[in-house]
Amino acid sequence: MIKKTLELSGEYILLMKRVFTKPEKWRIFWKQYFVETESLGLSSVALIGIISIAIGAVLVIQTAYNIENPFIPKMYVGYMVRESLILEFSCTMIALILAGKVGSNISSDIGTMRLTEQIDAMEMMGINSANYLILPKLVAVCVFNPILMLFSFLVGILGGWLIVAATGMITLSQYAEGLRFAFNGYYIVYAITKMIVFSFIIVTVSAMYGYSPKANSMEVGRASTRSIVTICLLILITDLMLTQLMLN
Amino acid sequence: MIYVYNINKGFGEQQVLSEISVNFEEGKTNLIIGASGSGKTVLLKAIAGLHPIDAGRILYDDMVFNQLEEKERKLIHKKMGMLFQGSALFDFATARENVRFPLDFFTDWSMAKKNERVDFCLERVNLEDIGNKYPSELSGGMQKRVGIARAIVMNPRYLFCDEPNSGLDPQTAIVIDRLISEITHEYNMTTIINTHDMNSVMAIGEKVVFLYEGKKEWEGSRENILYSDNKTLNDFVFASEMARLVKKSKF
Repeated sequence: MIKKTLELSGEYILLMKRVFTKPEKWRIFWKQYFVETESLGLSSVALIGIISIAIGAVLVIQTAYNIENPFIPKMYVGYMVRESLILEFSCTMIALILAGKVGSNISSDIGTMRLTEQIDAMEMMGINSANYLILPKLVAVCVFNPILMLFSFLVGILGGWLIVAATGMITLSQYAEGLRFAFNGYYIVYAITKMIVFSFIIVTVSAMYGYSPKANSMEVGRASTRSIVTICLLILITDLMLTQLMLN
Repeated sequence: MIYVYNINKGFGEQQVLSEISVNFEEGKTNLIIGASGSGKTVLLKAIAGLHPIDAGRILYDDMVFNQLEEKERKLIHKKMGMLFQGSALFDFATARENVRFPLDFFTDWSMAKKNERVDFCLERVNLEDIGNKYPSELSGGMQKRVGIARAIVMNPRYLFCDEPNSGLDPQTAIVIDRLISEITHEYNMTTIINTHDMNSVMAIGEKVVFLYEGKKEWEGSRENILYSDNKTLNDFVFASEMARLVKKSKF
């Protein structure tokens, strides 16, 4: 177990050394960057929107249900929803969802390229395949995921707004007052920082599992599964560490 | 010229190549033959720098390739072209983009000049009209030919072909063999081909190296094969009834 972990860490460091080199041509890098932003970022907008709107609505219902004490103002529903979304849901939960979607996509894409010798073909041409394949994905995801996180936050708030309007469990003005109550801008910085770190983990770990040599197509699937499990564990551990560091 | 001296290569406990020394000559089609699992692909990929070797030396002319810094190795890589067993065309790119790929990276040519070169290479492999198709839309033989076009687009000095005929019908296999041989002589390249197809050996094998269980068992020309008394080589080469009849008729 320890030997395997050390081997994986070594493999990861060596791969990162190859990833973080100057691209052969910046024009090709930027072209790939936009391609990856479209395929790994924009394609996730609908999924994140649907999940966030539903979670925003559910948070409102659950919070309103749990605040039945007449001494607690109803506007706390809006406050609790905002805090839950920004502190945990829109960064950590969305990162875990993206680990499944983006992580498996990267791992299986690169794994298939490894298996079909497309990576060898690039190396034969004298191209640093790790830099060409991974760096644009990394930059695209690290730039776009914080935008996705803010989008998730706003859509979650909207989901809460819609359920408040539909059910009338509290008034819209109470909900709006709660959203504005004791707002701490630092939480946005905290959430964006977490999302950038999680995005780095998602791309680099899934790429490492995809990049390692494969003997057959079953190994591509196994690598994809292993990468998602590892990413989820790392996200949870990093979440704990960052929360302790940034909020304590 | 490519010189290989006493190279060894293993994966974990398993020794795949042992003490292999051989010269691959310029302007000739050099063939590595052997049964499945004899180490042909590992040897080819080791020579091409895709597998680091455990011991020995690989020389490209007078440069010890396996001891060079990455930057210098990259310069030699730019002089290499390789046709992979499964063609290894990039799924995300059309045939034309596949062939243009190295030009995009390593030249500052205008798009018109790059397209001219791509057209020339596709015409050279008799594929003028498939430039806009993706690899999945091409037959196995067409994929191999696009692979050859991509391998020669940078005017390489060294061409490596890993099982170029695998999965192809005999007629298409002959077309691919002839194409590789013609290109080798046309551009005076050092070509190394991995195969266990005896038709290829007899058609284009100017120098033949026979591997057996990771060791060089025999080397010579295609004519020498017919007269060799090496039992292991004979068992491999004349395994089929047709091949045995050919050998009898030669004597």
